[in-house]
Amino acid sequence: MKHRPYFKIVEDVLALSIAEGRLPAGTQLMASALAKRLNVSRPPVTRALKELEDRGLIEPIDGHGYMVCGEGATTPLRRNLHELDVGFDLNQTRDEALVAPSWERILESVETDILNCTPFGTFMISETELGRHFDVGRSVAREVLSRLHGRRMIRKDRQSHWIAGPLSARMLNEGQEMRRQLEPLAVAGAIGQIPRVDLLAMRETARAALNDGVALSPEQMEAIEYALHGACVNASPNRLLNDMVKTVQFSGIVNRLFAAHIGVHDAAAVLAEHRLVYDHMLIGDRGGTEAALRFHLDADHERSISRLKVLSIFDAPELAPYLTRIY
Amino acid sequence: MSSGAGSPGTVLRVMGRSEILPEPVQQRACAELPFAIDFELSDSIDGLQRVVSRPDSFDVYHQWHTGDLMWTARGIQAIELDRIVGGREIAVAARTKIGDRGGNGAIFDKLFVQPNGTLGPAATNRIAMLPSLHGVDSFAFHADIYKYIDPDEPQSWSWLFDRRWAARTAILSDPVLGMIEASLATEAHERITFANVGNLTIDEIDLVADLLVRLKRLGRLRRTWRNYQEAAMLMQRGVLVQSMFYPGYVLLQRKGLPVIMSDPIEGMRGWHLDLCISSAATGHVLDAAYAYLNWWHAGWPAACLSRQGYYATFPDQVRQHLTNEEWGYWYGGEPAACHLPDPTGRPAVPIGHRRAGGSHRERMSRVRVWNTFMDEHNYLMRRWREFVTP
Repeated sequence: MKHRPYFKIVEDVLALSIAEGRLPAGTQLMASALAKRLNVSRPPVTRALKELEDRGLIEPIDGHGYMVCGEGATTPLRRNLHELDVGFDLNQTRDEALVAPSWERILESVETDILNCTPFGTFMISETELGRHFDVGRSVAREVLSRLHGRRMIRKDRQSHWIAGPLSARMLNEGQEMRRQLEPLAVAGAIGQIPRVDLLAMRETARAALNDGVALSPEQMEAIEYALHGACVNASPNRLLNDMVKTVQFSGIVNRLFAAHIGVHDAAAVLAEHRLVYDHMLIGDRGGTEAALRFHLDADHERSISRLKVLSIFDAPELAPYLTRIY
Repeated sequence: MSSGAGSPGTVLRVMGRSEILPEPVQQRACAELPFAIDFELSDSIDGLQRVVSRPDSFDVYHQWHTGDLMWTARGIQAIELDRIVGGREIAVAARTKIGDRGGNGAIFDKLFVQPNGTLGPAATNRIAMLPSLHGVDSFAFHADIYKYIDPDEPQSWSWLFDRRWAARTAILSDPVLGMIEASLATEAHERITFANVGNLTIDEIDLVADLLVRLKRLGRLRRTWRNYQEAAMLMQRGVLVQSMFYPGYVLLQRKGLPVIMSDPIEGMRGWHLDLCISSAATGHVLDAAYAYLNWWHAGWPAACLSRQGYYATFPDQVRQHLTNEEWGYWYGGEPAACHLPDPTGRPAVPIGHRRAGGSHRERMSRVRVWNTFMDEHNYLMRRWREFVTP
């Protein structure tokens, strides 16, 4: 995905809010107040407002910012922008993306691109091409790669090239050793945090899929995996723990790629293991939740090791433009 | 045999390596089975890629150390032992494990479909593949080597890296098998022992690969080969010590080259060849697949391939298809009582010759490591390419 300039994100969010009526016609928009409301700096807001004016969505008020165009917009209405839903709160990730520094916005995309290819071999990363691809400067590109380097996802060779891969069984083993300690804590911590009805729905999805015995699509499987390893982890109140869990969940890529290129297999085992975790969560059994999740993670690790071997006989299907295969 | 297998219009698509499906085997199968067979020979990774990603592109596959990959990908379906004539013997053989010393990649350890869908050693009525052939490989050497060494020097894998005939050695180019042989040679050459030669760690792979690259840069171990014909050709052109497939050795014997198959003190590299049915095969095609498997299990093809040094995993079935002289030489480890033919019927083994390592059981007990994809195959591939790339 090509990353948009900062002002463009602000512009799109405001345009959407206007289109959906969350910023009613006549609302007065001042750059400083909007920047505060959106929790961003002022220059991108100023630029975004200029663009919106060019698109005819807002019109300038003499010396007092802009006014949202539309029926009945004759005099500017001064509103407390904090009372208005400007669209960010609805979408957590977009909100985070908007307030995060540039390197943070693209870190996840770069990580995914790299993980998507390393099960297939070894690749060189071009800093320049990465910058061009995401429309960011060289220093931002370097910042992103340094972060991934710190997490041992990539390394520098003797000629100082950035190298990614190959994803090894050792990496999976090391990740698993950490993950089986951390993730059960996070998921057990989510007990009482996730609404019971949501948990019941998650268990029902796993149970129904198991009983139907119908082959699942990669997308369905992905959603099932996200419910436990994403939503439940996120629900834990310990944010530090959650962040750490995410950095050791990279083995999930093997399952995702395997599902996409080879097919969804062994789903029955995964579903039964998930259901068992939910059973424990629903009765508030912390120890049982931890044990059931650890069992699932161990079993899944075995599957990942076997699946990595299958992936390693193929070439990477598609590569981000800043990656070049070297072996 | 199911009646459906003979239905007109049924075509069975069989895929395998050239060593397993020589002309005599193909012709006999077509003549004896009541349906058309489309044989496809594939000696490269393409065949395996197809089996795991497109099971609809084949019906039967003669697999070679790739069983776990194919089962993980469910490119193959479970074989019902009840549909194999004499299938019960397989469970018995799995208990006695003759010619199947444990270790990563041994056939009976990952043969039976367990209740949880994985493969394991506990006998059930369903197997992932039908064992057909097995054997041990080592290296071969030219008799000229005795100009450099005493005749009683123990044969060792370290000979592959030996500086006494430095530039006149070669190794096979396949990464899976090549890495195993290179590891055995590294152990002997460097006087170290790997915990599990069949499943090396990254550090161990680095150690072997670094040595290989160094030897190559020193001008030693320069040549690699892809199949047994190339292997035989290299020895005819002056290579003194190199890894060797048995069919290549039989070919050289037929040509009268003074080449000796080694029985290294460190043990040998074991392999097994098994029959698999595509997960996409159904109906008449599935019936035909079972008929083809039963034809193999009845022994004639394995007897034919015994003449290039392979062993039937279940030898009792091949005995009736071999002469007493052949049985005595290939399975009993006895001196050849007469000039013995290769699979095509041409005379190959000279009178009085004796197989290195002895009888079937003795040789199979010499397995040090089985052909297998290691857990670190991804990493292994990277380092191996560094070695084989010119």
